[in-house]
Amino acid sequence: MATDSGRSPSTASSPLRRGRTPAVFVVLAALGVALVALPLLGLLLRTPWSRVGEILTSETALTALRLSLVVATTAAAISFVLGLPLAWALARGSFRGKTFLRALIVLPLVMPPVVAGVGLLAAFGRRSGLVGSWLYEWFGIQLTFTTAAAVLAATFVSFPLAVLVLEAGLRGLDERLEDAASTLGASRSYVLRRVTLPLMGPQIAAALVLSWARALGEFGATITFAGNLQGRTQTLPLAVFERLQTDQEAAFAISMLLIAVAFAVILALRGRFLR
Amino acid sequence: MKRLAVAVAIASLIVAACSDDGPDTGGGETASAQEGGDLTVSAASSLTDAFTEIGKAFEKANPGATVAFNFGPSDGLAGQIDEGAPVDVFASASPTWMDSVQDDGPGVTRRVDFAQNRLAIIVPADNPAGIVNLDDLTEDHVQLVLAAEGVPAGDYAREMFREARISEAALANVVSNEEDVRAVITKLIAGDADAGIGYVTDVTPAVSDRVTLIPIPDEVNVIATYPIAAVNGTQEVDLAKGFIDFVLGDGQRTLAEYGFLPPP
Repeated sequence: MATDSGRSPSTASSPLRRGRTPAVFVVLAALGVALVALPLLGLLLRTPWSRVGEILTSETALTALRLSLVVATTAAAISFVLGLPLAWALARGSFRGKTFLRALIVLPLVMPPVVAGVGLLAAFGRRSGLVGSWLYEWFGIQLTFTTAAAVLAATFVSFPLAVLVLEAGLRGLDERLEDAASTLGASRSYVLRRVTLPLMGPQIAAALVLSWARALGEFGATITFAGNLQGRTQTLPLAVFERLQTDQEAAFAISMLLIAVAFAVILALRGRFLR
Repeated sequence: MKRLAVAVAIASLIVAACSDDGPDTGGGETASAQEGGDLTVSAASSLTDAFTEIGKAFEKANPGATVAFNFGPSDGLAGQIDEGAPVDVFASASPTWMDSVQDDGPGVTRRVDFAQNRLAIIVPADNPAGIVNLDDLTEDHVQLVLAAEGVPAGDYAREMFREARISEAALANVVSNEEDVRAVITKLIAGDADAGIGYVTDVTPAVSDRVTLIPIPDEVNVIATYPIAAVNGTQEVDLAKGFIDFVLGDGQRTLAEYGFLPPP
């Protein structure tokens, strides 16, 4: 630290912007990297590589994988379909309480997942749920302990990501292109389909992929609201959790699969949404 | 100049954090050697209410001592201890997981059985499926919640089903395998499941207006034995032993109040 500050400032105008990174920063940044990398390294080292194939093709893992794909894909689709109109309103509409609405939508991102699960129970539980009790009494529909509940939990946490990414995309759009299309006589829906949405391609892809990845990793809200049953609500993260009690090696192998998928997602987004 | 300022700010933050911590920790350690100390107890989630009360009584009886509890499924707690979690005392809902700490983990001393428990059928207060006995759990469309396999309450429940010869039909009705026995009760309180298997001690006064207990006949019921022990490597050997003695002494009355049976 001392040697660094003693060096002559060659880039006097803005020493923090250019040139060598301060030594303190290097140390702190390295600690930050270690914090993220060490658990991953630990998982890598504890993964029983000789058994990975056998574990990942086991009935439990395959069932959980299939369910996870269905749940995450459905959740991402719902997040997109409901998220695009909302993102539109947030980006282009002018109405009272917009800031509050955005804060509300973002809340699930920072909410403890188990709280999300309790909230979902309070809304969709069959006996005491705001909507759930009504659904059950009038139509005999019970969401808890069903795959639909797992989808709902996953959507709850992935929806905000989709909205935020789509809103950012809409804001970044060159509106003159849409204006030009309108001036040339294109209807609003034509402009949306042929100009706006194609221009937003990368953001739409990013919204879908990010919300899909978030849905894939969902655990707390799912086990609290949907329960844990193989083939119905036991997604990959729940399978990891259950194997942890009975077969740790299997838990590590399934974790590796989840990490590999997440890593693939990040790489796929490189240069598109993430820089 | 800016760079220096940032560096100084960060450095002073670090120094401040360290100096804040220092005297506190030091003070705590000095105190522990003389009169009190901080005890960390990992206990099965079925002990949550009884042990919380016992912990308060223990602190009162030992001024300066504090007890911090880590409640959870016994299998998960044993796993944490085997991985080196700094736990002084372990109270398990089954001998199996105490064996795990004893044989595969850091080892234990002063192991002793301190309580027993029985299973019960637990239903939401309005009993939506009209459950009155074990056989009702096998009827179609009953939504049954159990603790997961590996969790003592979950293993005991499956053993009891085998004893009662209703395994296949009852397990077919399971809609969720919960992380510990308290999570089973949570689902029943919410009213989303029709029945669950827990311990008689799970229907505490705090939840007795929302869930109802249905006894299971002794001839098929499983008796759970709870061992407690000091975890080897603890810095608080005397305090840990003191706590175990307290559980075996004054604590027995509290455990009985919560429905636990005396040790065998």
